[in-house]
Amino acid sequence: MSKAASYILILFGLVLLWASTSRSAMEYITGKRDTAAWWGTYQGKNGDLVSMSYLDFIGRFKPPVNVPPAAAPVAITKNTVLYLHGDSYSRHLHDTMFAGVSRLYLIDRNHGLNYHLDSTKNNILLIEVAERYFRPYFGGLQMLNEVCDSLVKKKSIANIPLALQNEHVHYASLLPFSVDDLFNKYINQNLQCNLFNYNCIMPLFWSKASLNYYAFNRASGDVVISNDRQFLFYKETVSLTDKGSSYSPLEPGEIASIIANLDTIYDHYKASGFKEVYFSVIPNTATIAQPTGYNNLIPLIQNDPRLKMNIIDIYSVFKQTKQDIYMHGDTHWNSTGRQLWVDLVNTELAKFAH
Amino acid sequence: MTFNSLQFLVFFMVVTLWFFQLKNQKARIWLLLIASCYFYMSFIPIYLLILGGTIVIDYIAGMLIARSEGSTRKGWLVLSLVANIGVLAVFKYYNFFIDNIHTATGIIGRPLDLPLLKIALPIGLSFHTFQAMSYTIEVYRGRQPVEKNFVTYALYVMFYPQLVAGPIERPQNVLPQLKEFRPYNRDNVREGITRMLWGFFKKVVIADRLAMVVDRTFAHTSESSSLALAIGAVFYSFQIYCDFSGYSDIALGAARVMNIQLMENFNQPYLARNISQFWSRWHISLSGWFRDYVYIPLGGNRKGEARRKLNVFIVFMLSGLWHGANWTFIVWGILHGLSVIFFPGKDNFNANKRLAGLLWIPVNFILVTLLWVFFRSANVAAAWGYIKSIFILRGGSHYIGINSVEFGFSLLLIAIMLWKERVKPGHIISGKSFYAYTIFMVLLCYYFGVFIENQFIYFQF
Repeated sequence: MSKAASYILILFGLVLLWASTSRSAMEYITGKRDTAAWWGTYQGKNGDLVSMSYLDFIGRFKPPVNVPPAAAPVAITKNTVLYLHGDSYSRHLHDTMFAGVSRLYLIDRNHGLNYHLDSTKNNILLIEVAERYFRPYFGGLQMLNEVCDSLVKKKSIANIPLALQNEHVHYASLLPFSVDDLFNKYINQNLQCNLFNYNCIMPLFWSKASLNYYAFNRASGDVVISNDRQFLFYKETVSLTDKGSSYSPLEPGEIASIIANLDTIYDHYKASGFKEVYFSVIPNTATIAQPTGYNNLIPLIQNDPRLKMNIIDIYSVFKQTKQDIYMHGDTHWNSTGRQLWVDLVNTELAKFAH
Repeated sequence: MTFNSLQFLVFFMVVTLWFFQLKNQKARIWLLLIASCYFYMSFIPIYLLILGGTIVIDYIAGMLIARSEGSTRKGWLVLSLVANIGVLAVFKYYNFFIDNIHTATGIIGRPLDLPLLKIALPIGLSFHTFQAMSYTIEVYRGRQPVEKNFVTYALYVMFYPQLVAGPIERPQNVLPQLKEFRPYNRDNVREGITRMLWGFFKKVVIADRLAMVVDRTFAHTSESSSLALAIGAVFYSFQIYCDFSGYSDIALGAARVMNIQLMENFNQPYLARNISQFWSRWHISLSGWFRDYVYIPLGGNRKGEARRKLNVFIVFMLSGLWHGANWTFIVWGILHGLSVIFFPGKDNFNANKRLAGLLWIPVNFILVTLLWVFFRSANVAAAWGYIKSIFILRGGSHYIGINSVEFGFSLLLIAIMLWKERVKPGHIISGKSFYAYTIFMVLLCYYFGVFIENQFIYFQF
């Protein structure tokens, strides 16, 4: 190989490694790439799990038509401020959907919020958590630091930037130099994005996905097809070892520990001035759609007499309904499932509307 | 950075091309050392300090051993061995021993509550510790001149292709090759790349496919039928072989591209006719290490039959413990040791008894497979339950985690792998067939590879 070609490849490799490690470089690259052009970034429109498994060609996994959210019941006065601490399930909610809510604060988990309670309103804290995050997150008391009274604690955590597939390892305090920018946990995903995630290369991915689907009856990557072949599941929600799974066994004392943490969180926010604190676990798709072998996490938590927190029990509603409540190729609920949950929340909020 | 990752492919391309652009060996050694540091730090950066610490200790120990004589010389060797074994004891075995002390004292009614360490095991610790120890022992024995250049010595321990899962090299083989300037050699590059591709194939196409069955059967032992469990056990034998020997193929190939020849670690172990033969074909570098540095110093076969058997038993028990701080590994090692002692078998069969010799191959494979169950299980009781469930011929779910097409395909892959390694062990391909082979293997690995983030099994050791 000629010397010039060698140096070009060395340079290319070094730039590629650096770009796939650096958060700011990845932000720049993904911001610049056109999604429509043949060389642009592939962005699936059929759900996150469909995109992960490249099963765009299977009709049943495509999302249904989105039903617009129903208007909230008319309240006499809008005298409630709702602090909704949640995740991607609650990301697209807005205040007009909730009864008697004058203002809705959406608090993204892990990023937090500074607040100062409005003493003229009913301040309600609603903690929503997807089941797959529940055990890891409430196994600790991280939430106590995420929603902070700005006048009391003066803690500014609202400015933490959104991570772009980048989680740095923090050893700065142990070494005389920072190694944060040299290593990135998600470098392989970023390399795949930079090297292969282009519209023109997608047929190659689809052909492999077809082979796996039709010959071996399975999906690629971290996606699992349900036993009835109607749903895609995120692998960590159905494995036997991940804490986010519907089937991984609960450890001895784990329920008691989580209840104790929830009670501590409840006491903390009640003492901070919230009129009421609610709690709602959104079941994994597998919990409802493929319940055999379920570890019963949600009912065990919700029915525990030691739990002080008020419950928005969507698990029982989902178990009973005959409606289609989850998207078949996505980790989230569909608009029907979302509306059932909003209706439950509104039933509780109505108690404060007058 | 695992070998079966995009990061490694880009890293390997950069390092190798750069390596051949450098025109003096000192610069090449520096490049490989820096690359090896980056490679190791990509797992958990802080653990480079532990590796660095042992390298410094053994480098100084080597110098001191070379300068001294008599009991002082022995003292420096003992000090370096204690330091190396100490690192292993703290990071790998401390919590295991404390756990067992706690259990034992609990049984007698006086529980001793000693604190556990909240630390992760540095990746490949047992491999590079053993490689470092082989250097000081060889210097002590006078079979290896002391390496005065610290950077060269550090590279001997850290050379990235074999850093985290071997082969556990000897200084006599690697150090001279590291010091010698060797120009670009096209045959070596082709041989290295074809070997790497074969290793990738074994890992991502065979081992990670079989892992789907193995993970399923070992996680659902109580509800699986005897047939499903037997298939899971047999597939684990091939999974661990393709995983570990696949890693070795990639390591040997990557080194070969840079004109460095590492020692072979496998030689068709499942064609062995008895356990002794199996151990001369499986993880050869570890067997050799224990033979040279434990078995022979203990007396080997020079002190009578009873002592020989005891020495064999000790070596295999230590070998089990080397693999991991869990009773499953210790029991696995002990059972292998007892098999070697009580079923020594014969290595040579004359023409009349060749068929009889061949019949021992499946018998030995079944024995090895049953012993692997201990290696794979979470605890000894689970392993025993798994083996019992195979032999009581019970009903239950026949589902093994893959459909019948993929099951048949898996069997075909195993047959191809055994055939290829039996009839075509060489990896030298020249001319146009090299490019055809490369394209074919890349497409094969892409279309039939199972790309889940499965680390190599032996990384945990």
